Amino acid sequence: MESQLIEMCMESATQSRDAVEAWRRQRRTMAIMPSHLAEALFRRLLRRRLLFPSLLEVFKFCVEGIDLRGESYVDAEWMTYIGAFDHLHSLNLSDCNKINNSAIWAITGMTNLKELDLSRCSKITDDGLRHLTTIPILEKLWIPETGVTADGVVLLTSLTNLSLLDLGGLPVSDSALCNLKVLRKLQYLDLWGSEVSNKGASHLKWFPRLSSLNLAWTKVTMLPGLPSLAHLNMSNCTIHSIFEGEGQKALLTKLILSGATIRDASEAFQHLEASSLSLLDLSNSSLNSYCFLPYMRAISDLDLSGTSAGDASVEQIALVGQNLRHLNLSRTKLSSAGLGNLAGFVPNLETLLLSYTAIDDSAIPFMSTMPLLKCINLNGTYIRGISNEVDSHPNCVSSLSELSSLDHLERLHLEETRIKDSALAPLPSLRKLSYLFLRSGSLADTTLHQLSSIRSLVTLGIRDGVLTNAGLDVFNPPPTLRILDLRGCWLMTEDALLSFQQRHPQIEVRHDLLTIALVKRLSGNSPLSQLTPRTKLYKNKKGGTSTSPLRLNRASFLDQRLKYTREELLAMRFSSASISRDNIDLIPRELANDG
Amino acid sequence: MKKEDTVKLISAEGFEFIIDKKAAMVSQTIRNMLTSPGSFAETEHGEVTFPEISTTILEKICQYFYWSLQYASGKETEFHIEPEITLELMMAANYLHT
Repeated sequence: MESQLIEMCMESATQSRDAVEAWRRQRRTMAIMPSHLAEALFRRLLRRRLLFPSLLEVFKFCVEGIDLRGESYVDAEWMTYIGAFDHLHSLNLSDCNKINNSAIWAITGMTNLKELDLSRCSKITDDGLRHLTTIPILEKLWIPETGVTADGVVLLTSLTNLSLLDLGGLPVSDSALCNLKVLRKLQYLDLWGSEVSNKGASHLKWFPRLSSLNLAWTKVTMLPGLPSLAHLNMSNCTIHSIFEGEGQKALLTKLILSGATIRDASEAFQHLEASSLSLLDLSNSSLNSYCFLPYMRAISDLDLSGTSAGDASVEQIALVGQNLRHLNLSRTKLSSAGLGNLAGFVPNLETLLLSYTAIDDSAIPFMSTMPLLKCINLNGTYIRGISNEVDSHPNCVSSLSELSSLDHLERLHLEETRIKDSALAPLPSLRKLSYLFLRSGSLADTTLHQLSSIRSLVTLGIRDGVLTNAGLDVFNPPPTLRILDLRGCWLMTEDALLSFQQRHPQIEVRHDLLTIALVKRLSGNSPLSQLTPRTKLYKNKKGGTSTSPLRLNRASFLDQRLKYTREELLAMRFSSASISRDNIDLIPRELANDG
Repeated sequence: MKKEDTVKLISAEGFEFIIDKKAAMVSQTIRNMLTSPGSFAETEHGEVTFPEISTTILEKICQYFYWSLQYASGKETEFHIEPEITLELMMAANYLHT
């Protein structure tokens, strides 16, 4: 942590252009400045838009790492100065879209540069890579989504010190990959979206130290045995077999197969050593068997969301649940009874995502057997907050009371459920609950009242509820609250929301009316604000003023769903998009430039 | 004030600043010098020389020590730093761990 005095010096040094002028001539002092201080000063100047090419010179001797990612104004002039940085060790130029081949000519022959990130600099082509071959000590190079072709990739063979090479989104061919075999030190190779096929994949065994490999979105269906591999990403591939062949088995720890098509799971994973896996992502993949689940003894992160996994698979997860910390079963065929199979077998589970599954209130008691849970997502499930048997009984106990034993629970998602406000009563007993998200048409003012006693709440979302102005007026928010999301609470008026915001300036209130009010305020100074040409056009088309979107701005706000017919709403879908586009022109220049 | 309660900080040019020991302890580096076991000259005489810190900067540092004590006791005043001395002061602060 930076000390207080250093922080105050940084603040003073980067206050304004004049402040910079006051110290920029002290070259000798700058030359002996420790690199961590110089880099902190550099970052601060960059963030305050006070850095310009000729000022870069003062950092020439003291900076070892420069991060300019996403700074679209960085161009060839900047690079001329950066090329003279004697001790520069790493340079990040990702998403700097003014960087082209001639701009990186300036860094040819740099003697200390070991890491260079040119991700998504689309103007960099094969000619640019030729400049880079003059930096043989380069160890890490990122060039995904640039204009480099397969021929350019072959040029990289002279950079024999490379340990990391990111070629994502480039048209790397099988023969180009074959050429890269001379990079014997390669540990991390990213080839997502390339033209590499099974033929190219067979060359991968020539990289003796390869530990991380990304082949997502390629045509590779069979991967040979790669004994050194620890991380593998084959998302969105069609997989026939992994690590087939003789030799030592790879001890994979991370396997990402999101969106993959796996024809025959038992065949595909036959050669995979499942016992070492700690992370497995199979989200949205299509596979027919989960026979490998019971062998994953070390698994801690498991994502089966959007797959055909059901209660039977969960039973198998329970067998290896000892180390499990994050489990995603959203959009699976899981039922409440299935979750019961996990009860007592996952003592270390922290995250449990069950959104859009068929579970109901009977699943909640099972969650109370998972003592370390921090985050539960129950969006779009059949949770109602009341146990089925005692339906509508006035004194019935809320099913959520079962959660009160979870001392670590911080996040709870209950959006798009049929939960009623009376069922929320047990929530204040959750001492660490900081993020609560609700979304239902049956939530009324009592919800606010009940939740105001959760003293650790930071973010509260009550969307689409029937909360009223009166309810918000008497709402006494917890002191920790920072965000209150009331989008879709259509009974509230702008005045009530604004006055709440005034009373509690530390809370960011989100509501559709406030967004409209903001746009209106921003466009208020413009003569066009009242009637833009677009709205006129719109009116003519509709043949009347009754359904004009300008009505939204009037004080009497009606629920959109009641005000318009279905046909009118459909017609307006496009008009709202065009209006918001128009308003961009009305936003003051300073704000527009900010983003 | 007794001699044991003060320390003498000497700048590169040889200027001596005698300040309250409690104030000097705001700097982790000085604290270590004065409290470390063994018979360092600094520990014995309560005297520290900084051949790399100029008089102007050391004076500012001493002012900061007193300001810091006040600030910690709840008196929130502004500590003004002229932009001209920010670089040197930053480096001195880095060296002194303050």
